[in-house]
Amino acid sequence: MDNTQQNKRLDRSMKSILRQNLLFTILVIWAIGPLAWQLYTSFSTADALINPFNDVMNRWTLSNYKLILSSETPFWRYLWNSFVVGIASTLFCILLSIPAAYGISKLKARTSSIIKTVLFGVALFPYVLLFLALLEIARGLNIGNNLLALSIPYTALSMPLSLLLLSAAFKDLPFDLEDAAKLEGLNFFQRLRWVLLPLIGPSTASTAILVFLFSWNEFPISLTWISDPALLTLPVAISRIAGSSVYSVPYGAYAAATVLASIPLLIIVLIFQSQIISGLTKGAVKG
Amino acid sequence: MIFLLLLPASLLIMTFFSYPIIRYGWLSMHASSVITGLEPVYNNGANWYRLISDQRFWIDLFQTTRFACLSVILELILAIFIALILDQRWRGRGLVRALTLLPWALPTTVMALGWRWIFNSPYGPIEQLIQILGYDQINILSDPNFAWIGTVLADVWKTTPFVTLILLAGIQTIPEDLYEAFRLEGGKPLSALMKITIPLLQPYILVCLLFRLAQAFGVFDLIQVLTGGGPSSSTESLAMYAYINAMRFLDFGYSATIMMASFIILIAAYIFSWITLSKIKDLTEA
Repeated sequence: MDNTQQNKRLDRSMKSILRQNLLFTILVIWAIGPLAWQLYTSFSTADALINPFNDVMNRWTLSNYKLILSSETPFWRYLWNSFVVGIASTLFCILLSIPAAYGISKLKARTSSIIKTVLFGVALFPYVLLFLALLEIARGLNIGNNLLALSIPYTALSMPLSLLLLSAAFKDLPFDLEDAAKLEGLNFFQRLRWVLLPLIGPSTASTAILVFLFSWNEFPISLTWISDPALLTLPVAISRIAGSSVYSVPYGAYAAATVLASIPLLIIVLIFQSQIISGLTKGAVKG
Repeated sequence: MIFLLLLPASLLIMTFFSYPIIRYGWLSMHASSVITGLEPVYNNGANWYRLISDQRFWIDLFQTTRFACLSVILELILAIFIALILDQRWRGRGLVRALTLLPWALPTTVMALGWRWIFNSPYGPIEQLIQILGYDQINILSDPNFAWIGTVLADVWKTTPFVTLILLAGIQTIPEDLYEAFRLEGGKPLSALMKITIPLLQPYILVCLLFRLAQAFGVFDLIQVLTGGGPSSSTESLAMYAYINAMRFLDFGYSATIMMASFIILIAAYIFSWITLSKIKDLTEA
């Protein structure tokens, strides 16, 4: 009697583990299936592309990668451009946000909550609608085709989220901490450098990653600000490839490009997973 | 002192958010196109009259709204289930979570190009599978009636991870005891979902709705690469129409009018739903 009951329970837990594994598997296939398909395509010869499921032995080639890495503007150039813009905007944004976020956290509760509501509203705004006015700014100041200049609008566009996250981080610090540091005779910059910054490190890291991802992926502004083929950022370069030949099928090269473009992000996501998650969830919850 | 700390950030935000809106308001009252030599000339609201009688604008508004509503609803439903799965304790959970996050982190244009190949007819995997199963080809991206569904599918794939994460954070704030008590009272798992999880997730769902609807309403990259707005403009969004007017027709005045109108419609939609939601809340609480 006892034994059968135990067996039953064991059976049930086996079943639930099996079901869980099945669900996880479906989830992973759904998430990375399309990417895996790109990987598969990128190593296929043009002939093999037409028969995606046949000819398992003779379909493999590296020619797609050779093609995009040896074209007039080699593909790694776009990765580098995106990297430069990403790093520059992340630095600008963090440097400008930290003092402002500190300021917001020191305001009266009423004022700071008004500011936060406004910032939340601005963060919601579909920024693609701003491209025309921003393009006029770029033309007026003659700063198109300049990667560092491109990072200025990126800094501004990621500022609302960055301010929300960082001011929440400052607010979470113990209230007496700064007073104690003041009594020790530290001036504002010393307090910031030695007391406050180390404590908001984790939030700063999450914010920085999110800003970097935004800049790395941004499309409409980069599309209108940059026309020099050697300075294109990755998303625009990809869209140019896509637009260049609608009716022919150079999909092997496309796939190689998407694989190369995905690798840096795969690495970033695997390394900084917890920072990304905490940044996103805090942004949503505190905003 | 505080004022000085806030100054640079506020200036930057004003320049890049407030100035464009003001500029669009002004530009929408002016003709500024090739005809005027790209110089703005006051035209007494002609852009707005043109907008009201412009069929393509209204069709695009409909298409954009359709895209935004369907993708956000699908994302929310899927995300709740995925979040519940990810909430369970499991050995490989961290890795699975990172992998499900990946679609969100990729540049939209990159994955849009990927989906274009997946939808490709006749060589994409979907068409090939359909052929193997013995059905006719569907060629979803070149059918004006169905191409928009392809764009929704790609968008759902890309942004569900974002919604999932936020809902997951919400689920993790719900105390386990609540479920325990519910089970002891004889409640079924499915009704626990309806009676505990979803009501307690409401604020999180609301944040996702607010954020995702606004983003989906401004959809641009995805459709630009996936279908280019076609076939026969059946997937074109408002942002794309504004873009085409500015960059292809060089009609900046009208492009600004479209963006100003989109902006006003979006705000009106938010105010409207806010009032409706609070009315519903009053009714249910009364």
